[in-house]
Amino acid sequence: MTQSNRIDGGLIDRDRALSFRFNGKTMTGHPGDTLASALLANGQRLVGRSFKYHRPRGIFSCGSEEPNALVQLRTGAAQEPNTRATVVELYDQLSATSQNHRGPLAFDFMGVNDLLSPFLSAGFYYKTFMWPKAFWEKIYEPVIRNSAGLGKLSMKGDVDRYDHGFLHCDVLVIGAGPAGLSAALAAGRSGARVILADEDFRMGGRLLAETLEVDGMPGVDWAAEALAELSSMDNVRLMTRTTVYGAFDHGVYGALERMTDHLPTSGNKPRQVLWRVYSKRAVLCAGATERSIAFGNNDRPGVMLAGAVRAYANRYGVAPGKRVTVMTNNDDGWRTATDLLAKGVKVAALIDTRTGITRTLDGVRVETGSGLIDTKGHNGISWATLQSGIKIETDCLAVAGGWSPNVHLTCHQRGRPTWSEDIAAFVPGSDLPPGMRVAGSANGTMTMGACLTEGRDVANETIRDLGFTASRKAAAKAEDEASDITAFWHMGGSKARAWVDLQNDVTTKDIKQSHTEGFRSVEHLKRYTTLGMATDQGKTANVLGLAILAEASGKTIPETGTTIFRPPYTPVPLGAFAGRSRGQDFKPFRLTPSHDWAKSNGATFIETGMWLRAQWFARPGEKGWRDSVDREVTMTRNSVGICDVTTLGKIDIQGRDAAAFLNKIYCNGFAKLALGKVRYGLMLREDGLAYDDGTTARMSENHFVMTTTTANAVTVFRNMEFARQCLWPDMDVHLISTTDGWAQFAVAGPNARKLLQNVVDEGHDISNEAFPFMACGEITICGGIPARLFRISFSGELAYEIAVPARYGNALMGVLMEAGKEFDATPYGTEALGVMRIEKGHAAGNELNGQTTAAMLGMGRMVSKAKDSIGSKLSERPGLNEEGDLRLVGLRPVDRSVLLNAGAHFITKGDTPSMETDQGWMTSVAYSPSLGHSVGLGFVKSGTDRMGEVIRAYDPLRGKDTDVEIVSAHFIDPEGERLRA
Amino acid sequence: MPDFTLTPTSPLKGFDKQFGDIRLREVTDQAILSLATPLGGETALKAAVGSAWGLEMPAPGRSSRADDGKVHLLGLGADQIFILKPHDHLQPDAPVREALNGAGYATDQSDVWAMLEITGPGLRRALERICPLDLHPDAFPVGAVARTMMEHMGAIILRSGEDAFILLAASSSAGSFLHAVETSLNWTAP
Repeated sequence: MTQSNRIDGGLIDRDRALSFRFNGKTMTGHPGDTLASALLANGQRLVGRSFKYHRPRGIFSCGSEEPNALVQLRTGAAQEPNTRATVVELYDQLSATSQNHRGPLAFDFMGVNDLLSPFLSAGFYYKTFMWPKAFWEKIYEPVIRNSAGLGKLSMKGDVDRYDHGFLHCDVLVIGAGPAGLSAALAAGRSGARVILADEDFRMGGRLLAETLEVDGMPGVDWAAEALAELSSMDNVRLMTRTTVYGAFDHGVYGALERMTDHLPTSGNKPRQVLWRVYSKRAVLCAGATERSIAFGNNDRPGVMLAGAVRAYANRYGVAPGKRVTVMTNNDDGWRTATDLLAKGVKVAALIDTRTGITRTLDGVRVETGSGLIDTKGHNGISWATLQSGIKIETDCLAVAGGWSPNVHLTCHQRGRPTWSEDIAAFVPGSDLPPGMRVAGSANGTMTMGACLTEGRDVANETIRDLGFTASRKAAAKAEDEASDITAFWHMGGSKARAWVDLQNDVTTKDIKQSHTEGFRSVEHLKRYTTLGMATDQGKTANVLGLAILAEASGKTIPETGTTIFRPPYTPVPLGAFAGRSRGQDFKPFRLTPSHDWAKSNGATFIETGMWLRAQWFARPGEKGWRDSVDREVTMTRNSVGICDVTTLGKIDIQGRDAAAFLNKIYCNGFAKLALGKVRYGLMLREDGLAYDDGTTARMSENHFVMTTTTANAVTVFRNMEFARQCLWPDMDVHLISTTDGWAQFAVAGPNARKLLQNVVDEGHDISNEAFPFMACGEITICGGIPARLFRISFSGELAYEIAVPARYGNALMGVLMEAGKEFDATPYGTEALGVMRIEKGHAAGNELNGQTTAAMLGMGRMVSKAKDSIGSKLSERPGLNEEGDLRLVGLRPVDRSVLLNAGAHFITKGDTPSMETDQGWMTSVAYSPSLGHSVGLGFVKSGTDRMGEVIRAYDPLRGKDTDVEIVSAHFIDPEGERLRA
Repeated sequence: MPDFTLTPTSPLKGFDKQFGDIRLREVTDQAILSLATPLGGETALKAAVGSAWGLEMPAPGRSSRADDGKVHLLGLGADQIFILKPHDHLQPDAPVREALNGAGYATDQSDVWAMLEITGPGLRRALERICPLDLHPDAFPVGAVARTMMEHMGAIILRSGEDAFILLAASSSAGSFLHAVETSLNWTAP
């Protein structure tokens, strides 16, 4: 196909040809083209099918407001539906296909919908698919879903990369048209840090599309000079291909930068970057969007916005038609005619809906006080019919219905635009987002000279706010072109449908019908007709729709009001919101110090929060996890096992009041903890429920080391910091986390001491006499390496936890194994850890689930009455201290061969299972290799008074019903002889 | 008793790589200590820090550095500073406690953090992908320090030179942190 509609001029590089494909057809364009301009240059008017009626549609606009020319870009996994051809920068080998048709584009089988249009008007679905009820899910919904939507997803994972970023500036200028460039120049010259962002790939806005002069030179040249000056300033950052899509709190703006969309490949770099822009002030120079006029069959390919037709001719060197007709209600439409004539494009007629216009154009039929009522043409306009019945032969209809300021971002914090009769459009209201000012046509200032001046003035006002001195340099000069308008919304006089919203196939009839049926609020109108929805968010349709609703209701437009604009201004891919947070990079991983050792010694890892912990260490011949876990438990209980417990939170506590502070944090007493001793502590929440447990060691008079559970490490630290700073600021106490700083290992089992004696340096006596249960101390190991030793036990065995600076952690794991060789020491993972704590009856996360009290856990007497601590008073609430409360007990199956399930509920024998007869629930279960059967922990009503009773562990979810005996939670060594050995 | 030796390893195993003009490397020879000001002990600590290293107590967000560059104090909070100094003692907090003689509460933080140094022109273009702070020299001059979050990870950032930053991140997640910085460098490379 040749570029049959290419004309002279334009900002394209004719020396280079770019080859691209549309629906498999190869075409050529040039750098500087958009896909839309290249399609038009190649004479391709028909580019897609409409949403509902499958009407043939062409290119309507030249920017991000495009409702019609949506295409699928790229192929395979990179395929992207609903891409606006008007903003797709042409690149070599680009491949696009049209959307929403079955069969070829030029003959869409779904076009039958157009014949059915009398039945498909507003509210069709609501009225039609009411009955029979059973049809909805099986028949109607699948059919509607199948025919709905525009493009198709590839159904493959997104192959592209996306990133996020943070930018900071004094002044964010949004839009680089005449007002934006003028504002950026003024702000930049003052020395303020400026970001100028524009969605286009070339900055200049309408300066690139118009023939108006600025400072005595073509607007394009002035824009280039302005950009050269701006690029030379270190304090100015120019961001092309960047859409500021939302105005958020505190001067934060969201912006999407398309980094590689204009390149054939992204080269493994992010395709798009989603920026969070922190601005002190913002100047919105987003320009204005032209709108159409409604008349019969005003949706055919070839019917376009007049400003877009002019832009294609001036900026892209493309004549959208060979015989163009202009229909306008304002002076701006005339410039389309004059610019086309200057380019040698034939203008068939100019129709101005206004009366009293005396202006003429050489060789052009001019009709005033009149309008078009219908068009004809298969897959594109070929005739237009005037009110008078006269037919005009034409292949492109340029419609100028007036310009609507792009007020969207002014409304993102609930601002409401106000109606300006002068320009027949909404302009920004007074309630702008804090820090935002508006300049240029976004502000309703519709002429070039005024835009340039306003951009500078508003920027100067803005930077003075920030304490900068404004440059005295005057704004660039341009004449103020004629811009009078007399509002005109739609032509009657024809039965043909007149389109308002091209993307959603909403016609004037739909709006009137919606009003008749009682949907009178503009927000209801939107939901009922879908006016203003979907990818274009009604940028070309909203004001027209409101005007027609106003007309139908006999109200003014300001009385009718407008729907609220919300972010994003234009669509943002979900991938961009996700950024890097995908797959492996969804969240950070925390590794324990002995991770490398575990990895090379057969560990299977499990995620616990962000930590990766060894779950068990499989040995050759072990057939499943149970084999490994049973062995690890048995070897530990019989000799010695080693487990990395670094993940437990560690908090270093220092200060003159550290002991008194801990006494308030823990519900049990800590004030009198002796030097060199560790104590188990329980924390309550403010409401008296159990919160977290752990141990705290007194290293010196004013120095304590606390451990918390892995899960609550961060929140406990945060709550203690709150208590320190806000509850008791008069206490001298200081906290810092040392969780990552110390590698800590549990060494448990009857041979634990002997193993440690192999590594502890001489001079440190760790015998039972010198270092009894609950002792702690600073020692050295392996020839001088500092270590902390705590004699505490989670497993119930003779056990220690030994901590060394994390840098020695991986080595220490190997050394402990080596030193334990003579005892056949085993490493053990979180599963064996869990089995042993259940055998011993120690509470963990399943029992400390935020619903349980100290009394329920069997630790009611630990809550000291002799002092005040967080939660102690509220733990005395009657509701938490009733007769028959739940108590933690052990449970074992009457038939020892049955495996128990956590989550089962307890029912007294003989009762019918129900909420009323519920006696509690099973919290933790494990197969105990030490006992040879399954054991469980659970809360049973008055459980401690029911020892020996057999109850049912009822589990309808898994279809189990097991008789269990209530026993002590301490299955192993209830007297604690082992851990004191 | 057999002789066992503990060989230390750093969280990033001494990572050192050039990305165009930018160098990213793990710093392994520095001790990191936190120092808290006792309630009401501001004057005494100021005097003790002055006599120990000849340095002012830095205000939050600022740092002060000894002339020989060996001791670097980072102001991280109203009553908390961090000390960076050569890691030349098995228990780095011991000599600090001794030098301050009870005027402040020191805690060894050396192994809590992984330390990265990033140097080279234009590195801000990489850091702005993960660091929410304004690192423009007017807002974050040489010597400025801040706690922040990068890619969901807590971090401390110090501007150690015009084109040089020190990044501290938790040692347990140092691998993920390094990956985040490397990704930023790779994705912003020219």
